[in-house]
Amino acid sequence: MAQYQNLFTSVQPVGPTHHGVDLPRGDDKRTGTPFLVHLLGRIGNAQIGPVYLGSLGVASLVFGMAAFNIIGFNMLASVDWNPIQLIRQLFWLALEPPAPAYGLGIPPLAQGGWWLIVGFMLTVSILLWWARTYRRARQLGLGTHVAWAFAAAIWLYLVCGLFRPIMMGSWSEAVPFGIFPHLDWVSALSLRYGNLFYNPFHALSIVFLYGSVLLFAMHGATILAVSRYGGEREIEQIVDRGTASERAALFWRWTMGFNATMESIHRWAWWFAVLCPLVGGIGILLTGTVVDNWYLWSVKHHVVPAYPLGNPVVLDPAILGAKP
Amino acid sequence: MKITMKLALSLLAPLVAGLLSGCERPPIDTVQTGYRGTGMEQIYNPRTLLKQASLNQAPAPADAAAADGPKASQVYQNVQVLGDLSVSQFNRHMASITQWVAPDVGCAYCHNTENFADDGKYTKVVARRMIQMTQRVNQDWKAHVAETGVTCYTCHRGNHIPTNVWFAPKDRKYANSAMGDLAGQNLASKEVGLTSLPFDPFTPYLKDAAPIRVNGNEAMAGVGAYANRASLKQTEHTYSLMVHMSESLGVNCTYCHNTRNFQSWAESRPQRVTAWHGIRMARDLNNDYMGPLTDKFPVERLGPKGDVAKVNCNTCHQGAYKPLYGAAMAKDYPELQALVKP
Amino acid sequence: MSMLSFERKYRVRGGTLFGGDLFDFWVGPFYVGFFGITTIFFAALGTMMILWGAAMGPTWNLWQINIAPPDISYGLRFAPMMEGGLWQLITICAIGSFVSWALREVEICRKLGMGLHVPAAFGVAILAYVSLQVIRPVLMGAWGHAFPYGIYSHLDWVSNTAYQYLHFHYNPWHMIAASLFFATVLALSMHGGLVLSATNPGKGEIVKTPEHEDTFFRDFIGYSVGTLGIHRLGLFMALAGVWFGIVCIVVSGPFWTGAWPEWWSWWLNMPIWRT
Repeated sequence: MAQYQNLFTSVQPVGPTHHGVDLPRGDDKRTGTPFLVHLLGRIGNAQIGPVYLGSLGVASLVFGMAAFNIIGFNMLASVDWNPIQLIRQLFWLALEPPAPAYGLGIPPLAQGGWWLIVGFMLTVSILLWWARTYRRARQLGLGTHVAWAFAAAIWLYLVCGLFRPIMMGSWSEAVPFGIFPHLDWVSALSLRYGNLFYNPFHALSIVFLYGSVLLFAMHGATILAVSRYGGEREIEQIVDRGTASERAALFWRWTMGFNATMESIHRWAWWFAVLCPLVGGIGILLTGTVVDNWYLWSVKHHVVPAYPLGNPVVLDPAILGAKP
Repeated sequence: MKITMKLALSLLAPLVAGLLSGCERPPIDTVQTGYRGTGMEQIYNPRTLLKQASLNQAPAPADAAAADGPKASQVYQNVQVLGDLSVSQFNRHMASITQWVAPDVGCAYCHNTENFADDGKYTKVVARRMIQMTQRVNQDWKAHVAETGVTCYTCHRGNHIPTNVWFAPKDRKYANSAMGDLAGQNLASKEVGLTSLPFDPFTPYLKDAAPIRVNGNEAMAGVGAYANRASLKQTEHTYSLMVHMSESLGVNCTYCHNTRNFQSWAESRPQRVTAWHGIRMARDLNNDYMGPLTDKFPVERLGPKGDVAKVNCNTCHQGAYKPLYGAAMAKDYPELQALVKP
Repeated sequence: MSMLSFERKYRVRGGTLFGGDLFDFWVGPFYVGFFGITTIFFAALGTMMILWGAAMGPTWNLWQINIAPPDISYGLRFAPMMEGGLWQLITICAIGSFVSWALREVEICRKLGMGLHVPAAFGVAILAYVSLQVIRPVLMGAWGHAFPYGIYSHLDWVSNTAYQYLHFHYNPWHMIAASLFFATVLALSMHGGLVLSATNPGKGEIVKTPEHEDTFFRDFIGYSVGTLGIHRLGLFMALAGVWFGIVCIVVSGPFWTGAWPEWWSWWLNMPIWRT
């Protein structure tokens, strides 16, 4: 067939870099001279920069870098300050929250105190970054949809690290900072609370997770398929529907009987993506606070399938009065 | 363009090689352990199994010895255990122990060869107690070892010290500093199968009797006295014990459990009951036999914190679902099958 | 009719892969085509068999219905209907209807003068299903390794299959796939948000331009991938996520039988830093 599929840009026109839409008075000047990277240009825009370094952004980076460094130095300390072992064991290392015995109290620095400090700094950093997301949109006269989507993710972060530990009365329930350790936390949560697959909010969140992947594949592919008609010029297609939007809509209408519009597909996208952490956060918040065992909860609500049991049925040796 | 391709390949090739280095290949063997479609299966690489089987062979038993004649306690001095055996049986047993524990050194590993009755070497004192330990396992822990039983070889396999014993882990060099607390986990540790789970599952569960169960019996979270207070940290500790057990037996979680509901005994397999007894057996051996022997060992045989070597699942199992893949050695050594009342 | 205001001019003949004009028509908003017929055939047959399986089972509770694959002891043979044979026929119908659906999408793309990106992307999803239900079981020697058809029962399969490797999160391909999945959700929220923010700028503002979109992301993180690039990126991340998901499960069993955490020993034992 040897047809061009518009997956990589084969011819890149090189022109002057774009210094950005003018910002209103009150904003700082942008930082950095924009430059072009040819390899990037094969996939998307080639231009890198300029970036806006405002007070919110800089403050966020300061707090964020402080948190990152405290985590990193604690990891380095935990391997006795050996940088080779730091790299070797990096994925296994962590900064752990306090032990259960400390409840919600302030533990010694070395036994969870650093984790609390990092948690606080990271949260401030994220909230400042959120404010930046909001402000940059407003300053450019854009809607704040990106900021509110980010808020859904922040909701999940706060549920895992702040709200739920407080409701459980223990910082130890929070997530450690570390690659494998945070995965151990995920497993431990499911093991302790009766198998999270049986948490209906978890299931719904996964529906939105897989659904988002499905939707972006569908939407990305659809736009690329009509890019020969200028389909990627979505704003113009929204205010003045062209043949790209028409063909894209009809493809789906003829395939599955209904369709979105060039604008509404982005609402489907936004909601699916936002509902994943939103619903997931609800599911985590209910875990341990309201429901102690999701499998037993599901049995109560008659959704658990039955399998034939062993013959004879296995009995608990502890109850049988077996030798302890 | 050519240069970037070369560069890309030279960066990619070792990465791919590294990633592929942990690879096995079909065909593989599987054993279904639950209802069809539940995914409860054991997975084996037949080539690995073959190698492991060859490494876990039981040695041939010594030829049977005559039971007649005077008792060993009448002929030899300072015979505190095995005294009721005939001299031939006693000598047979001694020869077997030598093969099982110190084939390279011979009798001199435990005995003063000028005076076999002398208790001067610590190894003789320890071995005496270990004979009693073996008898204890075979007599009182049938719930775990059934009629297969154990001998010294089950743990020692021809080594002075079994290859898989455990000590309390040593603290890191700067353990008392203001940074870098490991919180008992987050090191790549062989003991817990290279996870970052707590690296000492043995002290709380195979020496002390900390509760292993973390699930409650109610769907809803209880209040006050009815609350299930088990923490995520505790859950990770239990998980690390379970990883150890699985790795020691060369099995996975579905060997005992239906993981949709780990705690349910009705949905578990009978092997879980055997494992339950195995945990209690390990505690018994560590507390009643190994612990009290601590001051008998020289310093170089103790752990970094001065504790004695202790047993865990891997000490006997060594990667097999039954030690020596179920070879019944004990039946040829009736003297090891019961504790003789003094 | 069920046509959109602009639809009539697009309803032309042509683009079919098979069957010519015979099935080149619409029923309501749905395009039929030869592969619409095969889709209906396989889907109806498969659905009827699922319903029959449910009827033969202990319950009509939607959440509890379970149609299980055969015991592993049947290997790659056909099993009796009530012992997993039904599952096998349903799987054949599923593959038949998914492939039919994809080929129907191809016909629709051709008719509309569109690229074939959508059916190609769907092909990756079909590959995921076929990998789980055919390729991996064949590599492992038995249909019994595939997942059952049931809302909660298929999750029990996921749980047990994962725990066969003690801690599935340590599977490096799974780590990559999960990261790509989460990155795709992130990118989708950003793209949806960005387009909506430009076209719904709030009270008193006029609709903005792609230059505003680019400027927002350059101000925000120093780079904007652009209107075409984001669709390439989103499609790529979504398909890459599914691809690594396929890799992570096909490797588990046929090419790795141990615990996934143990796989990392090659890294830990590299001569330059082994302890």
